[in-house]
Amino acid sequence: MNTRFIRAGRYASIALLSLVLIFTACRKKEYTYEVNGEEVVKDGVTKTNLKTDVEFISIAYSDLFGTTITNDKLVKLNIEYDAFGDKKLIEDLIVRNFLNDPAVQLPTKSYMDANLDAFISDTYKKFFNRLPNEMEAWNLKKIISADNTITPELVYYSFMTSNEYRYY
Amino acid sequence: MDRRKFIKRLGLAGAGVLASPYILPANRLFAQTGTRKVNHVVFCLFAGGVRNFESMQKAEGNLMPNMLSGTESISADIAGAMEILPSPAGLPLQNYGTLFKEFRYASGPTGHFNGHTTAMTGVYTTTDLNIKERPATPTIFEFYRKHNTTSQSALNSWWISDALGAYPALNYSKDLNYGPKYGANFLQPLSLLNYNGATSEGYVTLAHPREFNVGEKQSAVKMREHFDGFFGGQYNSLDAGIVNTDADADHINLFIKNILTQANAGAYTNPWNLTASMSSDLYNMYFAEQVIQEFKPELLVVNMQGIDICHSNFTQYCNNIRKADYALATLWNTIQSTPGMANDTVLIVAPEHGRNLNSNSIVDAYGRYALDHTSDATSREIFCMMLGPAGVIKQNQVISTITGESVDIIPTIADLLGFYDDIPMQYKAQMGRVLTEAYV
Repeated sequence: MNTRFIRAGRYASIALLSLVLIFTACRKKEYTYEVNGEEVVKDGVTKTNLKTDVEFISIAYSDLFGTTITNDKLVKLNIEYDAFGDKKLIEDLIVRNFLNDPAVQLPTKSYMDANLDAFISDTYKKFFNRLPNEMEAWNLKKIISADNTITPELVYYSFMTSNEYRYY
Repeated sequence: MDRRKFIKRLGLAGAGVLASPYILPANRLFAQTGTRKVNHVVFCLFAGGVRNFESMQKAEGNLMPNMLSGTESISADIAGAMEILPSPAGLPLQNYGTLFKEFRYASGPTGHFNGHTTAMTGVYTTTDLNIKERPATPTIFEFYRKHNTTSQSALNSWWISDALGAYPALNYSKDLNYGPKYGANFLQPLSLLNYNGATSEGYVTLAHPREFNVGEKQSAVKMREHFDGFFGGQYNSLDAGIVNTDADADHINLFIKNILTQANAGAYTNPWNLTASMSSDLYNMYFAEQVIQEFKPELLVVNMQGIDICHSNFTQYCNNIRKADYALATLWNTIQSTPGMANDTVLIVAPEHGRNLNSNSIVDAYGRYALDHTSDATSREIFCMMLGPAGVIKQNQVISTITGESVDIIPTIADLLGFYDDIPMQYKAQMGRVLTEAYV
């Protein structure tokens, strides 16, 4: 047999053995103590889609007025939205104008104070389309409870100008 | 102290001593290496496609009496169509600087977005340019904000244009080394006012925001930080475009509210009390001047576009050149009457490209044929005017030979503001040169 083929066969065997050793060596044994393996992720982690201009305006309107924005109003607001380079600035301005509209639908402060757990859950569902995890709910409750000047309007404003609200 | 600790501390102290002179209040490590010639630059895109025949060569008379010397009368057959504008006050602007009469847009398609992109990046484009996307190479705003030392706030850089095409996208590029973090504030004045007849829809929908007091704002920040803290992974701060600081945003909000309130009061129906109608170019310029007076930006680029009516109406094209000329004179006067910018500003004026030698088949009411711009040699012939303080810019100088190109404007702005040497060579190599002919 040609010695060149023998040498090549040896090299191939060594390479194969090396690959086997690399992929099998030092593998850490995983123990499971009667608990199912769970992947730990943050809530909202799947929101990778940025709302478009039109989506942001129409969703914000629906969230605050409980009804669909008219096409005429949407077109007008979209023109004004496009007038600025700083989108956070114009979104903040639009939300604050919505909040100042007499037709805006807001819970009362007394309702919020008396039903804080439910208010927090409902508000997360309303604006983030998800429930808060325990840590989120506890922390927001702590912030609201510690400051008697916080109103539902201010909570709504904070939700709607947060980073998560810009995504779906 | 052991030897290792001693050496470590000695090293840190040495590095601190060496770096401290370069760590600036604005948290930049290195100072710009160049010296500023002025502290403000305003760049006016006298755009829409202006042919040198009608501008520099005055083929229809002096359509730009505020900018150019000369009393050549307007061609008799179209003179009746010219709207009445105030007579120029004072000397023509060319007295206050250098006029490049044979400037060139030497390469790339003579399309508006190509021309604007070239003018604002200093790099020629090709037919591959996607008019729905931001420029591939950084704009002057990004170079300015990244490499300027004293005032990197977005409040110092503005891009003011109308809504045509992708112009809003010119406030920053998609270059990963720059991008929205270094972009300019962008404003479309007529979109903000959003007139519906005499009613400003902008006033109706945006001028009545809920105003939160300081305590409420602090509470909102606290809650927002809580929300954002749980949404860190997916958030890309650049998704929101350029970002102003909270203080700057408050300033802009107040500015917007004042504008909308005045719009509702009818202040912008005819703010210059002209007999001629207010065009979008005149509005652009009027609000550029409002921005100048309010923010005194170090870098402002303002666009005019009404001249492009020449595709269908040559006579109105001539009329709109006159209006743009008038608007430019008011811009110069505003700069010179604004404390902080007067005598410390260079104004650069240039079209993005010219127009064809040969007309198309559309005839206007005065029997004149319309003109397109399809990359013939004539459509590459433009002009450039640089005005500024006598100690910086050569006064009353006219350069009549072929000198300077569109790609030279951005390096010149960078040089005037002292950061040209800080632009990385990979970008500088694609640009033109500094227009030193205009310098004293």
